[in-house]
Amino acid sequence: MMHRFISVRRLFSETKCSLPCQLRRRCFSQVARNEIDNRDDLVRKMPPFDYSPPPYTGPSADEILSKRKEYLSPSMFYFYTKPLNIVDGRMQYLFDDKGRRYLDAFGGIATVCCGHCHPDVVEAIVNQTKRLQHSTVLYLNHAIADFAEALANKLPGNLKVVFFTNSGTEANELAMMIARLYTGCHDIISLRNAYHGNAAATMGATAQSNWKFNVVQSGVHHALNPDPYRGVFGSDGEKYAKDVQDLIQFGTSGNVAGFVSEAIQGVGGIIELAPGYLPAVYSTIKKAGGLCIADEVQAGFARTGSHFWGFENHGVVPDIVTMAKGIGNGIPLGAVVTTPEIAEVLTRRSYFNTFGGNPVCTSGGLAVLKVIEKEKLQENAFVVGTSLKERLTALKNKYDLIGDVRGRGLMLGVELVTDQKLKTPAKLETIHVMDQMKELGVLVGKGGFYGNVFRITPPLCFTKEDADAMDYTMEKM
Amino acid sequence: MAMMLQRKLLRRTFGEGKAILNFNSNPILSPCTSFSTVTSAAATQSHDAPRQLPPFDYQPKPYNGPSADQILEKRKKFLGPSLFYYYQKPLNIVEGKMQYLYDENGRRYLDAFAGIVTVSCGHCHPEVLNAITEQNKLLQHATTIYLHHAISDFAEALASKMPGNLKVVYFVNSGSEANELAMLMARLYSGNLGMISLRNAYHGGSSSTIGLTALNTWKYPIPEGEIHHVINPDPFRGVFGSDATRYAKDVQDHIEYGTSGKVAGFIAETIQGVGGAVELAPGYLKQVYDIVRKAGGVCIADEVQTGFGRTGSHYWGFETQGVIPDIVTMAKGIGNGLPLGAVVTTPEIAHVMGQKIQFNTFGGNPVCSAGGLAVLRVIDKEKRQAHCADVGSHLIGRLRSLQDKHDIIGDVRGRGLMVGVELVTDRKEKTPAKAETAILFEKMRELGVLLGKGGLHGNVFRIKPPMCFTKDDADYLVDALDYAMSEL
Repeated sequence: MMHRFISVRRLFSETKCSLPCQLRRRCFSQVARNEIDNRDDLVRKMPPFDYSPPPYTGPSADEILSKRKEYLSPSMFYFYTKPLNIVDGRMQYLFDDKGRRYLDAFGGIATVCCGHCHPDVVEAIVNQTKRLQHSTVLYLNHAIADFAEALANKLPGNLKVVFFTNSGTEANELAMMIARLYTGCHDIISLRNAYHGNAAATMGATAQSNWKFNVVQSGVHHALNPDPYRGVFGSDGEKYAKDVQDLIQFGTSGNVAGFVSEAIQGVGGIIELAPGYLPAVYSTIKKAGGLCIADEVQAGFARTGSHFWGFENHGVVPDIVTMAKGIGNGIPLGAVVTTPEIAEVLTRRSYFNTFGGNPVCTSGGLAVLKVIEKEKLQENAFVVGTSLKERLTALKNKYDLIGDVRGRGLMLGVELVTDQKLKTPAKLETIHVMDQMKELGVLVGKGGFYGNVFRITPPLCFTKEDADAMDYTMEKM
Repeated sequence: MAMMLQRKLLRRTFGEGKAILNFNSNPILSPCTSFSTVTSAAATQSHDAPRQLPPFDYQPKPYNGPSADQILEKRKKFLGPSLFYYYQKPLNIVEGKMQYLYDENGRRYLDAFAGIVTVSCGHCHPEVLNAITEQNKLLQHATTIYLHHAISDFAEALASKMPGNLKVVYFVNSGSEANELAMLMARLYSGNLGMISLRNAYHGGSSSTIGLTALNTWKYPIPEGEIHHVINPDPFRGVFGSDATRYAKDVQDHIEYGTSGKVAGFIAETIQGVGGAVELAPGYLKQVYDIVRKAGGVCIADEVQTGFGRTGSHYWGFETQGVIPDIVTMAKGIGNGLPLGAVVTTPEIAHVMGQKIQFNTFGGNPVCSAGGLAVLRVIDKEKRQAHCADVGSHLIGRLRSLQDKHDIIGDVRGRGLMVGVELVTDRKEKTPAKAETAILFEKMRELGVLLGKGGLHGNVFRIKPPMCFTKDDADYLVDALDYAMSEL
């Protein structure tokens, strides 16, 4: 299938019936867009984009849905009343089976950071796949070593030993095991409303009932969430930190294995930890002999704009950092980075990960780091994100439905409430608005314990024009 | 380090003159027809190193990257002291094609371990490569919150390979993740806590699969929850030999005395991988599945290594024991090296999982699903299962002859292309020949064959190549082993 790059502006002026058969197929997306535009002329036109997806001839949405119901997990959910069949992606846009273009403001859950099918990343992956896809670390290969070095160089302090895994859950599981081994203690503290994964130990650290099955999850204590919007102490970080002190003094032997948190809670609804919280807690944990784990699965890799890592926004240096999602622009890859001293615990026995650190994923990861630097994506996240947040805040001042606008860089959240004082979650309204936004061509994410927070975590190549279009669309709702 | 070996060209009649061949990577097309006659002659001449690897029409790309030493340096610095590797002087593998690997000097090796039983179709198999490349250009990642045909097509194809009512598929990213999920399912469905696994098993390296894994080298000292490790039905070393009934009774005992009488489930590999290619005593699983089910538990078959036709006689390892599990876990060969794993179970068990949200961000992504589907098609189209049976029986046959010749071979076992050769210093005592295994392991690498190693004592050669391994490859491997053992 050939990709045909036609100037969208040129196509815009052509009418449907005057096109020969070939061209008709080419400007498929343009035609589709015209139809939608005609349906609702309040819709602000999306920024032009010089790409046309190849025509889709695969199974329809209904056929796929039918197979999903039969062959896949019954708890596998999807967004929207009428789910979207997404077949193509390019930078910050996604295309459905009819060739319609959507602005991807969710990034496959904060995962696609460079952009869908970013040419540099695709090239690195394809070239390596053609050469050697898998051999394991039992043999040498430069890809894993080069990427580990590049990744380590991005971290402060003595954080320079890397363990590669295949997902965020695997990374957090390993981090928790390392902390427990290093300290000889079992107790770990995490925050209510956190999400860290869904395997045995990580399900314990995850603290939202809808994600926790009724199985034994031992050794985790859940501290008060330093939530500036809903938390009982507002933005007073130090008051929340005292709860951690309490938990240690009364709920544990006085010594703990560690503390784990996201710098900005993702699944929990883009909640930025109250200022001053992390430094106070890190101090408490260290006094109790524990290690501090920073879960950078969503906040890492330049997404917060002001810094490369989420924890840097809080002025702390963790003992262990976990990553996934954006690290590979969508490739199944995760990592744990720690100090040589802590890493040494794993030499007590053999630890091995068959797929972890394979040449293809590590080549992809290295390409991602290079793209982030070359295309100054961190700066872009800062500039575009800050501007978007301002616009969303203006919207909040205008509409009572918006209870809070928060976040940093291109990790933003918009919480909807039916009552500004009581902060009653506007669950139904959120679902409705989300659906409508999709109809208008903008895909956002949803989160928060009550499912009433829009999560805006687009690919970091998101432009100001995209932000404008999004803001305009939201307002129209 | 001199890697040049004297090669002797054997004519059909013995005692004729010898020629010396250079051992290099250029796949010289030498006549294959006389190969097997020559090698059988070579087998009786234990002092002769085998001829070069079977010919292969492929030229690797020139390598301009960092050297082995440079890489090792970086590994030590940035990948931690716990990252181990094979060989005194580790091998820098830069390229792969089908059943062969190439090092930085372009030297070709016979890959008899397939990246730990993972490269099922063959390194860089063109069809799998094509599927991956094409999908990468279209859409790499969006998650299951949107629809995409690749995951549903792959799930359907995988389910169609399963017997019974096994047809709900969960995609994850590794074997450990798959076994973790299986354990969760077992506990939720049964409402019980205790899990049973076999001593010498390997089921993963994450904190809870470490509990199921039963080899001390892999078990960190952390709490594991309620796991009962039963006597391993090991025909070679087990106390009951091949008597499945007596081993099964141990499971019964554990349940009656060590649990509340009810268990969550039982998990086993049909041929233990890391444990040294140990095939469970025949008839064992049938009896145990019965016992476990009576105690309210579910039966999990870990097919991470034995699945996808590798055993030759059957598509799935558990089929060799005539049972149908409740949950099947897969990884490794499922994607020919893609980070992919899966759990397949029945709608009844899946239904229980529907109580809460169970989500995997990368699981079932379009690229891995497309790759996985291509792998299934290749295995069927190229009749890999039959091939494994054919080549495997030839390989095992030759290894058994070798066993008659060399006392150091204590046992030859396995099925299809999942073979183990256990080395002992004393056939009666079965004392593990650890040092000798290490030496032979290195020697085989020098001769151009990359084996795997396993067993608690590290004295078992694991021969589990990409499933395109040929009889000629098998002959070369056995000849090399013969030569190496004679030189010991």
